[in-house]
Amino acid sequence: MVRSHLRGAAALGLALVLATGLLAPALGSAAEGESSGFGADWESWRADTSVTDLASLQRGARDFMAYCNGCHSLKYMRYSRLGQDLEIAPDLLQKYLVPTNAKAADYIHAPMPAADATAWFGKPPPDLSLMARARGTDYLYQFLTTFYQDPSRPTGTNNLRLNATAMPDVLSELEGVKGAVFKNVQIAGADGAQVTEKVFDHFEPLAPGRMTREQYEGFVRDIVNFLDYVSEPAQAHRRSLGVWVVLFLLVFTWLAWLLKNEYWKDVH
Amino acid sequence: MAAVVKPPGEPTAKPGGLRAWLYKRLPIEEFLETQLTGYFAPKNFNVWYFFGFIAIVVLVIQLVTGIYLTMFYKPGEATSFDSVEFIMREVNSGWLIRYLHSTGASAFFIVVYLHMFRALLYGSYKAPRELLWVFGMLVYLALMAEAFMGYVLPWGNMSYWAAQVIVNVFGVIPGIGPGLVEWIRGDYGIADSTLNRFFALHVAAVPLGLLLLVVLHLVALRRTGSSNPDGIEIKEKLGADGKPLDGIPFHPYYTVKDTFGISVFLVLFAIVVFFVPTLNGLFLEHANFLPADPLSTPEPITPSWYFTPYYAMLRAIPNQRLGALVLVFGVMSYMFLPWLDRSPVKSMRYRGWLSKAFLTLFVISFLGLMYLGLQLPTRTAQIMARILTVPYLAYFWLMPFYTRWERCKPVPERVRFHAHG
Amino acid sequence: MADSGVIADNAVDDSRRKFLLSATVATGAVGVAFTAVPFIASWTPSERARALGAPVDFDLSKLEPGQMATVIWQRQPIYIVRRTPEMVASLAGHDSRLKDPKSEDSDQPPYATNQMRSRVADYLVLIGVCTHLGCLPKQRFDRGNPELGADWPGGFACPCHGSRFDLAGRVFEGSPASVNLKVPPYALADARKLIVGVNDVKGAA
Repeated sequence: MVRSHLRGAAALGLALVLATGLLAPALGSAAEGESSGFGADWESWRADTSVTDLASLQRGARDFMAYCNGCHSLKYMRYSRLGQDLEIAPDLLQKYLVPTNAKAADYIHAPMPAADATAWFGKPPPDLSLMARARGTDYLYQFLTTFYQDPSRPTGTNNLRLNATAMPDVLSELEGVKGAVFKNVQIAGADGAQVTEKVFDHFEPLAPGRMTREQYEGFVRDIVNFLDYVSEPAQAHRRSLGVWVVLFLLVFTWLAWLLKNEYWKDVH
Repeated sequence: MAAVVKPPGEPTAKPGGLRAWLYKRLPIEEFLETQLTGYFAPKNFNVWYFFGFIAIVVLVIQLVTGIYLTMFYKPGEATSFDSVEFIMREVNSGWLIRYLHSTGASAFFIVVYLHMFRALLYGSYKAPRELLWVFGMLVYLALMAEAFMGYVLPWGNMSYWAAQVIVNVFGVIPGIGPGLVEWIRGDYGIADSTLNRFFALHVAAVPLGLLLLVVLHLVALRRTGSSNPDGIEIKEKLGADGKPLDGIPFHPYYTVKDTFGISVFLVLFAIVVFFVPTLNGLFLEHANFLPADPLSTPEPITPSWYFTPYYAMLRAIPNQRLGALVLVFGVMSYMFLPWLDRSPVKSMRYRGWLSKAFLTLFVISFLGLMYLGLQLPTRTAQIMARILTVPYLAYFWLMPFYTRWERCKPVPERVRFHAHG
Repeated sequence: MADSGVIADNAVDDSRRKFLLSATVATGAVGVAFTAVPFIASWTPSERARALGAPVDFDLSKLEPGQMATVIWQRQPIYIVRRTPEMVASLAGHDSRLKDPKSEDSDQPPYATNQMRSRVADYLVLIGVCTHLGCLPKQRFDRGNPELGADWPGGFACPCHGSRFDLAGRVFEGSPASVNLKVPPYALADARKLIVGVNDVKGAA
């Protein structure tokens, strides 16, 4: 009797292991989305960026100018400051980043007139100089990776991070197009009665883009990293200076401690 | 006191000559003798006694960094936000001056709250120090006004909405309320006029008032002498030389000890300034990195952390007038402590368990309300805030009773002191 | 003083006390000095000032011979004069009336340390700020100007205190100013383009 139970348990266990193994691509990291749905864990996606990664910042600058600057300005940032901090040579800066009618010392504006933008999108695309500080890098990363098809919206797309966003899915040619699958879930409403709500379940890739999922995520990370740098260009310098300041103050504290003890020997 | 007498035959060194010249014309020598080397402070100060001096240092930091910010900041609806970014990005070392000022504001409140807590622990507000306490409370009120107005100046979205909400609280005053609100604003809503007058008050008027109040606070302290953790008056036990037996000259002992105290503070201060200046939204709120938008209220809308205990109380009461009243009570109750406290004993060390229990509950409710004030006003948060308001207010208003009912321990004749290293 | 809280009898430790005190004070002084640096630095020209002070381009084809144009560079007026051959010729022959005919005491780049005080004879570039107390000298290019005298070779006259300069900006004797008008750094990109603010074309943005 016991043996048959054990055999049954073993068989069940094996089945579970196999099933989990089969399900792993679906349940697992969003990086492997080709096979089936992904993104159930989108709220825990992290930007994982580092403003000391100069190469990433340079790519982010280039990609921002190419894909975002058409609508979004960085009005507190000068091209020349970018060149200085990101170690981009003046001629490369002029060639790839500075528009023909602008000078390197100019602030980074967007060519789209605000009035037209408001007419087309309902509100002007916000300036992004401080967006990384206002919303955080994780928010920005999630915003750029959770667009999905939604025919009910004027843009034809919607966004999980910012519901009913006025921004269209401008990066779909790179990322590809994906749809969102919602599930009906019963949750307790405010007055206790059961309410049916549509809750996001997972994404379904609908059409491929020019990049793989991994490439696209790297692309987004670079842009978010760049925006993080733009939101506070002095941050890398701040941290490195801080190390010296704190070390100096620790030395001073130690001396002050010795001095205090020396004098307080007098006190009984 | 006669001028400094030089021993005969000694050459007149230039500094000595200058010193003598100055001493004859200003009461410097008397000041040094009475305030430093001749001022006796209790020898048993513990860590709670650092914060007064640290508060003065933070005041200096705020004044210096504030003056420098005023050199670059341009007040005005159209220019404030941009000028702050100008300071952060284009003024050489501007970002550092800004962070010193923003961190200094929060540091000021941390230090002042700890400084006030010392008084609650050791009965430093009791006779003869009632006026010292009142001046201190006025400093606290001025500080709150200064911080509130300073926060509006960057004209970020939280600046705008904090101004909107707090100025509207004045509207609950019967009769004159709405007119008063419009008078404070200078416009039909928070506007350029509000910003500019807050700038003038924040930069010039309130700092002058603060300095005056701090001076009065120190003069009152000098008169009564400092309290100490045992709550006994050291002037009551004088030695043969007329000096308090349990006292030591402020200089060099407390100048040296305060130097150590300030350097520990500066280490912590520098760590925040250089590594976590926003403290994840606590010292510099996320919403304030977006410009003021009259059409978009930030969520959650909260004042800075140092106001949130009172904000939580205001928000928890469903009635607007009553909520404002509770807020005022919450802030002003401290003022009455010297007269609410009927204990024969000053220091918590010798009080009964009732005082200790009420103080503990007060601290828990203060910190709890502070936390709740930072959260969204969910039903649970509101209920918790209502619950915590009770021990907060009870600490003050039941004090005349529990301080008389409880049995206190005998107070020692001399202070408890353990020799330092 | 055995009955007060202090017993100070450590003559032996006095040297240690002195040493620690000096060490602490010295370290503190260093700290104060370093703390002053960002405040002093904040007064230096900001990035905005430096950007606004960037080199300025000028289209020379807009200038007729004998005409002067004024541009602003680093908040100062810059006079750009297209000199005629007669104006260039007028520069010779009055060295004795000048305070600094060889520009030895005056401020100009190496390529302007000559009689013409410019790179090429055709174009004169000067900082239009009188070297006396800073007013803007007015152009008086015509020879023998009635108010300036029959022997006036042409140049600039400052309205504030009467300083006079010739068509190379050199100061005349009798003027309150003591040195010639300053020449800013400038470069000629080609026949049409003058860049004020840099010494060579590569230095421009």
